[in-house]
Amino acid sequence: MNTKHSFLIESFIGLGSLLLIISALGLYILNEPVRIVQAQDEVLALQLDEAMTLYAENCAVCHGLSGEGMGATPPLNNPALLTMPYEDLYKTIARGRYQTAMPAWSIEDGGALSDYQIDELVTLILHGDWGATGDRVVNLGLAPLIPFTTEADPALLAEIGNLPDGATLQTAVTLFAANCVSCHGADGLGTGIAPALNDPVVREKTAEEITRIITFGNTGTLMAGWSNILTPEEITALVSLVQRWDEVPLGTIPAPDVPIAVTEESLALGSQLYAANCSRCHGPEGQGTPRAPSLNVRSFLTNTNDQAIQQIITSGVPGTAMPTWGDRMTEAEIQAIVGFIRQWEPTAPEVATITRPGGGGPPWRNNNSTMPNVLPNTNSSTTMSGNSAGGQTLMQSLLDWRLLLLLGVLLSIAFTLIYSGWDALRHVPKKAG
Amino acid sequence: MDELNPQPEPSIFQRMRKKLVPEGIPEDDRGRIRMVVDSFILHIHPSKVEASTLKWTYTWGLGGLSALLMTILGLTGIILLNNYTPAAPQAYFDILEVNSNVWFGELIRNLHHWSANLLIVVAMLHLIRVFVTGAYRPPRELNWLIGVVMLLLVLGANFTGYLLPWDQLAFWAITVGTSIISYIPLIGNWLSQLILGGPEVGANTLLNFYSMHISFIPLAIFGLMMYHFWRVRKDGGLTRPKSANQIEDGKVERVTTIPNLVHKELIFALAWTSALLLFSMLVPAPLEGIANPALSPNPAKAPWYFMGLQELLLHFHPLVGAIVIPGIVVVGIFLLPFFDLNLTSVGIYFRSQRGRALTLLAAGLALIATPIWVLLDEYILNWAEWLPTWNTLLSNGLIPLVVILLPLILLDEWMTKKYKADIEERVLFIATFIFTAFIVLTLIGIFFRGPGMSLYLPWNMPISH
Repeated sequence: MNTKHSFLIESFIGLGSLLLIISALGLYILNEPVRIVQAQDEVLALQLDEAMTLYAENCAVCHGLSGEGMGATPPLNNPALLTMPYEDLYKTIARGRYQTAMPAWSIEDGGALSDYQIDELVTLILHGDWGATGDRVVNLGLAPLIPFTTEADPALLAEIGNLPDGATLQTAVTLFAANCVSCHGADGLGTGIAPALNDPVVREKTAEEITRIITFGNTGTLMAGWSNILTPEEITALVSLVQRWDEVPLGTIPAPDVPIAVTEESLALGSQLYAANCSRCHGPEGQGTPRAPSLNVRSFLTNTNDQAIQQIITSGVPGTAMPTWGDRMTEAEIQAIVGFIRQWEPTAPEVATITRPGGGGPPWRNNNSTMPNVLPNTNSSTTMSGNSAGGQTLMQSLLDWRLLLLLGVLLSIAFTLIYSGWDALRHVPKKAG
Repeated sequence: MDELNPQPEPSIFQRMRKKLVPEGIPEDDRGRIRMVVDSFILHIHPSKVEASTLKWTYTWGLGGLSALLMTILGLTGIILLNNYTPAAPQAYFDILEVNSNVWFGELIRNLHHWSANLLIVVAMLHLIRVFVTGAYRPPRELNWLIGVVMLLLVLGANFTGYLLPWDQLAFWAITVGTSIISYIPLIGNWLSQLILGGPEVGANTLLNFYSMHISFIPLAIFGLMMYHFWRVRKDGGLTRPKSANQIEDGKVERVTTIPNLVHKELIFALAWTSALLLFSMLVPAPLEGIANPALSPNPAKAPWYFMGLQELLLHFHPLVGAIVIPGIVVVGIFLLPFFDLNLTSVGIYFRSQRGRALTLLAAGLALIATPIWVLLDEYILNWAEWLPTWNTLLSNGLIPLVVILLPLILLDEWMTKKYKADIEERVLFIATFIFTAFIVLTLIGIFFRGPGMSLYLPWNMPISH
């Protein structure tokens, strides 16, 4: 190839590259507005995803599973909020609202959230999907178990009327059931977010102190000041309830039956956990075995509400083979099992047919055998947590065409190099000396 | 005087023009553009170059490509600088902003990212090219040293830049990468504290790395680059390519720099710019979730160019794997021009026919020996357990080191005895062996290490969360 020829070829390469740069940049510029919008959508999706978890961890306990509000806590799925300026929403979350249960969440104000996280929550309020948020809260096991409000048991309420100054206590019980139960729990026994009021230590407090806390709230806690919702007379009534709770019979302010929320994911998890932990004693379909009672039966499912089933699983049944599961499973897992058991209710038989384990021949006769797959796993998916290695190690998968191909390529390159080197070495004239 | 010479004082604009536009400008356009271009180009290049050094297949344009990449990195870096806050966690949000809210922000970031990674490869290849053609020999020893320092600085620039996006990838790669520092004897912990600005990677590390990344390292590289270019001219230009079979005839053909060299440079730069641009438009730079010190990925890997080192750490006592072996290699590279003085083979790829044969042999042997060693050490060899009473520095450091050095020394002996290989051919053999082994280790580290840093086949790798 002469010099002129190669000069020409190089020039063509240069010209081609120049044209490529110009046309590629031109196309890129045309596409840039589209790309920016797509990228912003991606960032929005990312922020909403993080915001839903933040909501589940921090907000759901008061604002409800999917922003529907709870008792005196306002709903967030309210369309009116969409018209609020961004600054107002940000400020409410960051600095809190005076004389309400809303504390300041910004780290600067002693809260737990960074500016960016507060931004994300504002984004959730303005752009979020509350249905998906509710699913996230359930899947994280953070669904608020607390009922919104409840109603006092009528028979016991009438009984209270016979106590001295019974009318005041009746008013207080009704007010407590409508406003306070969501945080302070059934019969004032407390919940995860607020202390028990039906407690000797609380009863020892003076009426002034209790009145002050109810009226102005308790700074640094979720306890709001109630002065703009309750009249002074109502507050006085509640103070006397707190001081005389030992006279009110248990069960006056019961926890209502609130079904445990269920999603497709939680059902799948529940089914998996049931098969692994419960089916051996309660039967694969919940029909029961000689070791444990039937669950898939109308008498059990209609008479036992979700909270009661969760309580049984969490704490076990003393004196029976039913163990305590609360220390082996998370709340979310137990709730998933409850949801799984609950979905039998529509088809549950009146009378259980308890099956006896065994029979059916040796396991390899079984069509849906659960024998582990000993052949190499071709689709690289994660295995169950039982296998600590998680997947296959190199030694387990030596018989694989891709490995053989890799070895073949490696060895042929190496041997070509070695052979040609060695061959050339033999023909090189040896140096003198 | 004024009355005798009524010529007015020149105005401020006339004086400025006189200063800016020199005397003696050619009248025609062609002459003027020649004057500007020539005086610019001929400051960098000599007016004539040897025709033989213009061959693509001799230099592969690797030095020029490094300079081009440095330029791209400088320009895109300055643009990125305008949209970056070196504070955790704001840094991460700034990167999100660059990607989603800045016109051409993603393209600029991709260009910066891919150029930086390509530069590592190209600078390495440049070093190898200079090594295998023996172009580091006198009088070019000093330029070799400058080049090696620049390569280390480029690694430093890439490593410090790796942390800046403040995502999970950055945070954990730097955590793994800097953990090596504390294995340096005596000063390790102190140095680690100094570099990280605390006991672990955090906001202070980000600020340290940022200041290094945008000030000291680029300034140092820029200065050394200028010196590197100047020394190329001072040392008599590029080394002349020679063929191993031919005896040199002594004739030297010289051609003018303009257009012969400049034309090639321009086209090379255009071609690579278009390739980089296209690649950056199609392949986005990675960005994971925001850095979370509480959630370490499994496996946590160093930046890809340090995976060879991380692989060594899995097989040796940290002092040997992270300090002694890399230390010996770097010192060896520095000293190379001082014990390899054969000037007759300068410009010949692989020194001689024997050298070429030995290079092939070394590459082939290392290609087979390294995976075998890795597998043996992973599944069978367990020095620490076999010699429980020994210090692990001996049982897990020196013994395996001796075990792998012994066959290498025997091979060296055999070459010298049987084929009368001289010092330069032996250096070539050893260097090729070590370099190939290092590449294989890097590839194993990148593609074959899964959760818990145990060996997996790439297609069976469990997905980490």
